[in-house]
Amino acid sequence: MIRQSVVVVGAGLAGFLLLAGAGSGRAASAATAKTETVPGVVLLDTMESELHRAMGSLGNTATDATQQPKPYFVSYAVSDSDSVSMTAQFGAITGSHESRRRTADVQVRLGTQAEDNTHGDHRNSALTTVPLPLTDDREAIARSLWFATNRGYGKALDSYLKVQTEQQVRAKEEDTSADFSNEKAATAILPPAPALTVDQAAWEVRLREISGLFKQYPDVFFNTVILEASTETDYFVSSEGAKVATPNHVARLIILARTRAADGMDMFRAETFEADEVAHLPDQKTLTEKTIAMAKNLEALREAPVTEPFNGPAILSGRASAVFFHEVLGHRLEGQRQRGDEEGQTFTKLLGKQILPSFLSVSDDPTLTNFEGTPLSGHYSYDDEGQQARRVDLIKDGVLDTFLMSRLPIASFSTSNGHGRAEVGHMPTGRQGNLIVTSSKTVSDAELREMLKAEAKKQGKAYGLYFEDISSGFAVTTRRSPQAFQVIPLVVYRVYVDGRPDELVRGVSIVGTPQAALNRILATNDKQDVFNGICGAESGSIPVSAVAPAMLVSEIETQRQAQGTARPPILPPPGAAPAGGKGGQ
Amino acid sequence: MNLFLKKLQIKSALSGVVCAAALFSTVTVKNSAFAQASADSNDPMLHAMQAELDREKATLLLPGMQRPYFIEYRMDDINTWEAVANYGALTREELNHQRVVRVTVRVGDYATDSSTSRGDGTVEIAPMDNNPEALRYALWTATDTAYKNALRAYSAKQAALKQFQSGQAFHDFAVAKPVTHIAPLVALDIDRNDWTHRIVEASGLFASDPEVRSFADKVQYSTANVRAIAMNRYLVNTEGTVLRQGYSAYNALISVGGQAADGMELGRDNGTDAAKAKDLESASAFRKRAIANLKSYEELLQAPLVSADDYHGPVLFSGDAAADVMSRLFVPNIEADRPEIGKSARTNGAYSSSYKSRVLPAILSVTDDPLQAKFEGRSLLGAYAVDDEGVPAQAVNVVADGTLQNFVIGRQPVKDFDTSNGHGRASPGQAAHSRAGVLLFKASQPVSKDELNKRLLSMAKEQGRDVYAVETMGGNELTPRLLYRVHADGSRQLVRGAVFDELDTRSLRSDIVAAGNDSYVSNSMGAVPQTIIVPSLLFDDIGVKRATNEQQKLPYYAPPALPGK
Repeated sequence: MIRQSVVVVGAGLAGFLLLAGAGSGRAASAATAKTETVPGVVLLDTMESELHRAMGSLGNTATDATQQPKPYFVSYAVSDSDSVSMTAQFGAITGSHESRRRTADVQVRLGTQAEDNTHGDHRNSALTTVPLPLTDDREAIARSLWFATNRGYGKALDSYLKVQTEQQVRAKEEDTSADFSNEKAATAILPPAPALTVDQAAWEVRLREISGLFKQYPDVFFNTVILEASTETDYFVSSEGAKVATPNHVARLIILARTRAADGMDMFRAETFEADEVAHLPDQKTLTEKTIAMAKNLEALREAPVTEPFNGPAILSGRASAVFFHEVLGHRLEGQRQRGDEEGQTFTKLLGKQILPSFLSVSDDPTLTNFEGTPLSGHYSYDDEGQQARRVDLIKDGVLDTFLMSRLPIASFSTSNGHGRAEVGHMPTGRQGNLIVTSSKTVSDAELREMLKAEAKKQGKAYGLYFEDISSGFAVTTRRSPQAFQVIPLVVYRVYVDGRPDELVRGVSIVGTPQAALNRILATNDKQDVFNGICGAESGSIPVSAVAPAMLVSEIETQRQAQGTARPPILPPPGAAPAGGKGGQ
Repeated sequence: MNLFLKKLQIKSALSGVVCAAALFSTVTVKNSAFAQASADSNDPMLHAMQAELDREKATLLLPGMQRPYFIEYRMDDINTWEAVANYGALTREELNHQRVVRVTVRVGDYATDSSTSRGDGTVEIAPMDNNPEALRYALWTATDTAYKNALRAYSAKQAALKQFQSGQAFHDFAVAKPVTHIAPLVALDIDRNDWTHRIVEASGLFASDPEVRSFADKVQYSTANVRAIAMNRYLVNTEGTVLRQGYSAYNALISVGGQAADGMELGRDNGTDAAKAKDLESASAFRKRAIANLKSYEELLQAPLVSADDYHGPVLFSGDAAADVMSRLFVPNIEADRPEIGKSARTNGAYSSSYKSRVLPAILSVTDDPLQAKFEGRSLLGAYAVDDEGVPAQAVNVVADGTLQNFVIGRQPVKDFDTSNGHGRASPGQAAHSRAGVLLFKASQPVSKDELNKRLLSMAKEQGRDVYAVETMGGNELTPRLLYRVHADGSRQLVRGAVFDELDTRSLRSDIVAAGNDSYVSNSMGAVPQTIIVPSLLFDDIGVKRATNEQQKLPYYAPPALPGK
């Protein structure tokens, strides 16, 4: 236990690389942002000149007797972001932070595009991340980039050696495609993101109010309301000549609440609202109504009968099917899932084949900022590899046409289609942006409901299921794990064929394999719903959207969820009528 | 994949909380018998804690199970600020305020209860707003969870104890007198602009100052940061203790380094700390420190490698270096942390069976007195009035004339130590453990610095060889940072690349032959703030060897040229 008085945050070189607190948004009213005369110009210029200097110097040092290889690719991606986050519970603010960060992701690639230091599971060897000065100090920015590039080059050298050795001893790979695609370098300087404006005091009042609503529902023993807003400008330069500045800004309000049934089953509901900026989030009246509905729903769920194993027809609401498509289909269409020894490759061999009913088409279009007026979080103009965003038709009339491609080629596709995305500090991979499911076999909600009843009757069931809300679990796509999608149904009703009123049930969990469910879609409704959210995967957490109509599935298998054993809280909440007449105060 | 559930765990909110410390104000401690009335601090949060505690104490019971016999609520109100600069530019500045409650529920009785050696309890985020009702909600859910966990732990423990032939020889929890102690609230008090400016400047001197600019190319990293914490800690328990006290601590650190021509990584890291920002060193002193560090780094770059031949012999440790040695080798061993159930050892440390035995030379005595807030004008970050379990701090004679007399201990008894001596201390949001506060090493026959040097030189003459003196340690291992090879004529040569050998608890007991009359104050602004005060120490038999790890590659290309170069 050496005293901290002699050690600076993990002494030595490593200390510099620490990105403390990344992701947890703990900063409070942070550095007063220096207003720049021409935003980003100094930063971008310095990135460019330092990149050229690195390319001109690395592998050319005459002093080094053993000539080192020249990198064939170097890129600097800098995220310049300002974010605010605020949390409330039980009517009080529990956290309020503002954070301003500039972070550089330096990528160094050695070898050739066909085979480089990122091969196989060495993807991350190309990446080095450092914090950058918050001010436009040319010398300090340049030196920070030098530090990271030098580090990154060392890491790449080491990894490239390992790759070469491993390739010599291993069996031939299934997918022999290159490690990095050939692309045209883009040049686009879009205007920087607008300054972050959040009326903190006013929002604190609103958050207190919303979270305080739950106090009227004593069985809802946990709640949290979170406001997050960020504006970010991403700068990208590469040795291929790319020079891109692209803005992103998003605001999000999350309301989360939890209850527990007498038998120990935990139930939660979450509502998220997204917009491009906080001013465009729903008004307080709407949020209040949604919150009360959610609290009432949780109280009803608590008392609802527990589900029984069921294998029959079901409707997924638009929102539920959006989540479903994102998890079950979208993740499996990511390019990198089609190569690699560990990947499940569900759809790899199904190109050109029918994988959905022919009335369904699926595209991913990050260029859309909104869908029929609802803002889409998955919008971006350039991806995190500096490639222009574009609409990609993944499935046309049920037939699989392509994958979500980053610059990591696969056997069937050798180039990016503008879907290389990553959170700061991660290597980009093929990811979803705005996933949009369209249907040519649509009926009204009422008709869809009748079709559900008819299908249930046909199958000899007393009822079909209606999934009003589902939450994403974890889509496991590697070979070692069963390829079952994990979506957690939150609100499920039984729709009886004999005309009884719908009945809320709890504890429903879906079992089965993804393709099976996708092929059993019989029809959809005529109105697409939007789900905005944050999606976490290997390349980090990124904002995404999914748009889909409600769908009728002929067969979905459900079982009772594994259940918690903890009892609900023993005492009533503070201030509530004391149980057993023995008050505390 | 998780579409929206992130950032919700308490863990993430707490991880990386900047920790530091020092007692803010001295206050009187009274027993509750006659101080009940003065507990009225009109602090609505303290009242809310008390009200919820009373309610839970009266009514919390799972039918058919045992009631808790002890409940403790602690709220840590943590205010931090940190700024970091690299290469003369600010890279981060963060102000943070966070409140967490930790609820401990014990089932059973003082003799045998539900507790485990790692510390139990449930942590919940508490409102930043002074909203008593919201605080009570947080306490309510945390108490419910903690009670259920305690019931489970209690039955598991009963089962575990049945496996052993003999029962527990000591109690699980020490009885403590209730205490009421309300100190003024503390707040961050530092000129943020001024200090931000200072660290920005300090981290850029390598490139801007004419005295050191000549070797700027050799400086691979140059970082300075400033950290501040003001923590208010609230505590109530069912024994009647009511506590509100706080501490603040500030430090500013500089770190520069890079590689020698052979690739060896070298650097200098140090700084200034104080319980109040105004007691940190001045702007000019901080600037001087930065320049001195750069020069010292350059000297290290030029220094020859330590001899490849193993050395075993006298080494003189400065107070600074000796403090690091004692922090690593001595302090953890006198903190009485109980071994896990089923182990009969007294404590987890190396001094488990050293009670009443020699652990240091007869010339050294050690006390731990958290009530000592200042030493020769310097504020001591390890000082406090009441510990984090509500026990008033006590001065403890740890070592008398080399013999271990006492451990520092909190409310978890170990063999032969059945009561707390006011050393139960907790990291933010964590359970309390036995920790030292202000540990003072005193020599019975202290000698002056000159005399110590003379003795070192006479040993060199006697043995007919060069000897070593270490000024400061570095890194996380007990490795020397500034190590000098001392010739018999008194001249000295800085060397690099050395490691110590056989520097261990045995050498503390047997190899220290003299101690200085100086006292180096080493404050640690860690999660549990601590201070250790140590004189220079002369060891007669320590190994000095050349480090054997391979050197990293030198930079593959030069850093950017400085402007105007």
